[in-house]
Amino acid sequence: MWNILEYAAWALSALFGVLMLADLIRIDTTYDNELLISSREGEIEATAERHEI
Amino acid sequence: MAYEPPKQSLAGQIFDVVTLLVLTIGALYIPLYLGLAGAAKVPNPIANPTWESLGQNATEQQQWAALGITDPAAANDIITARFDYSFSWSSLIVMAVLVIGYFVMVVRLSDREYREVIEERFGTKRR
Amino acid sequence: MENVTSTAAGTDRLRLLRVLGPAHVWALGVGIVLVGEYMGWNFSVGKGGMIAGLMACWVAGLLYTCVAMIDSEVTSTVAAAGGQYAQAKHIVGPLMAFNVGLFLVMAYTMLEAANAITVGFLLDTVAGMQGQTGLNQQPFIVLAIMFLAWLNYRGVLATLTFNLVITAIAFIAIIALFMSVQLGASAVPLDFSAITSDPLPYGWVGIVASLHFGLWYYLGIEGTCQAAEEVRSPARSLPYGTMAGIMTLLIAATMTWYICSGLMPWEYLGQAGTPLFDAARVTGNTSLMVLLFVGTAFATLASANGCINDASRAWFSMSRDRYLPSWFGAVHPVYRTPYRAIVFLVPIALIFALGAPLDQVVTFSILSGLLGYTFMTFNMVMFRNKWPLDKIKRGYVHPFHPLPTIVLLILCSTAYFAVFLGYGTQLSAMMCFYIVASLWFHFRRYKFVRRGDQFTMPWPKPHGY
Repeated sequence: MWNILEYAAWALSALFGVLMLADLIRIDTTYDNELLISSREGEIEATAERHEI
Repeated sequence: MAYEPPKQSLAGQIFDVVTLLVLTIGALYIPLYLGLAGAAKVPNPIANPTWESLGQNATEQQQWAALGITDPAAANDIITARFDYSFSWSSLIVMAVLVIGYFVMVVRLSDREYREVIEERFGTKRR
Repeated sequence: MENVTSTAAGTDRLRLLRVLGPAHVWALGVGIVLVGEYMGWNFSVGKGGMIAGLMACWVAGLLYTCVAMIDSEVTSTVAAAGGQYAQAKHIVGPLMAFNVGLFLVMAYTMLEAANAITVGFLLDTVAGMQGQTGLNQQPFIVLAIMFLAWLNYRGVLATLTFNLVITAIAFIAIIALFMSVQLGASAVPLDFSAITSDPLPYGWVGIVASLHFGLWYYLGIEGTCQAAEEVRSPARSLPYGTMAGIMTLLIAATMTWYICSGLMPWEYLGQAGTPLFDAARVTGNTSLMVLLFVGTAFATLASANGCINDASRAWFSMSRDRYLPSWFGAVHPVYRTPYRAIVFLVPIALIFALGAPLDQVVTFSILSGLLGYTFMTFNMVMFRNKWPLDKIKRGYVHPFHPLPTIVLLILCSTAYFAVFLGYGTQLSAMMCFYIVASLWFHFRRYKFVRRGDQFTMPWPKPHGY
């Protein structure tokens, strides 16, 4: 029983890995890299939290 | 005039990540390879152990049994193992210097960089 | 389009999804830490005896209460993914920020690896109880990391809701064990006679030494602030979730010490692999055993899950500022997660989980955490000096300043000494690592960073510059 579980675990690991990688490649080829790395720190601050007394 | 950083090539990006990885794995494995890692307990087993001579009372004997150890000889090593806390003052001083020196260095270099950041962000200081 | 900010230039920007509430912050903080109650803390008993274990539990509790208070104040004001990294960048300076970012990535990735190793060990134990010897643990270690990484990849709300559920179950399991033993469910009575017959087997130095593993009870609670950019209202939720978290942990830690010390001889407890599960075995009650097995498994998974979340946020934030290659600073356009950072850290975690021994990984993790707490002390003092209380509005102001800072510094120094007693070489090796990495950053990497852009908070100019 445990031997089957071992193979199942390998298979599932591979499945999750492939899902992630496939999605990563799909996203990277679909969207422009400039858009993907466009996130900037501090945008919450600019809109919601002003820290003024 | 704001500082304009150079554009980094893909190869440069990969090289930088690899450098950092090599450093990390080095720090983790070098003490292992030098055989300097870890502080193990040293067992001092006593001869002809009984639960009484190992200092275990009736309740504790019941607890050992529940954990699957009914023979005092099997618990001998676990019970008598002790750490060795002796240390040399010189290595303590080396360590203290490393830790304190590290923080002093980082804070001083940071401050130098920080002044540049503030200057660029808020403009030159009015005197 | 929701969650895309249009800038003045007319270009769209991606950002992380802001969906979390205080309960998720609690789940992230407690989820990472609670595994410490299920394994690891008990080595403090081995290092100094039963009383030393309790002292370590409370002294470390005090240390972490200081950490939680200080952290809540700064992070309720600097709300950015990367947590302490962003704090360091605004308050101390870029090189410190780089180091703090590394502390975070190291501490969490190593802890994630340790958790995966524990999952493998636990399954091996169960297989052993069913008569299957020599289980190959590797597929299960890999599966745990892969599954949780995939969950993290797919979105933060599902990830932390999952964490909330399994953390709550693991916490309830501890309470259930405590209650049942109090109500007499145990076949073997509680016994604290070692407190009087063998109070301090190592003398006073044992109490100091046990602090090393006393940290395990709470290590990682400061991870709550990594979620800052994904919380709906950071100034309120972060202090609330963090404080609730530390209270939960103080309760759980004391109950854990009480049950385990009462049900097991301290010599056994001091070297046990899974102390709470062993305590359940001693009670002889099968349902308690099953419950605590589930608790152990869930606590480990919750911790690994939170670690993936936090390590990737720290890596992502550093890349966004070009401290690391900017390629990693990407946000997934659909799931709104730092997906490249998550994927990149998977093989790193696997290297540690499959290649390095557990105690080595754990010590590296503890030390990185400890360096981070030391940073918090002077960070707090500088924060109050550069922006006094009447200068900017804080979401939460911690009381008795600078008392918590001083206490924290004293306790950190003691903890360094405690680590030194057993793992002096690792401590030196790690300090060398951070020194070399700092020099590398200062002299090579920093030239790629835009200077003024690093300061992103809408604060006035710091006092004294």
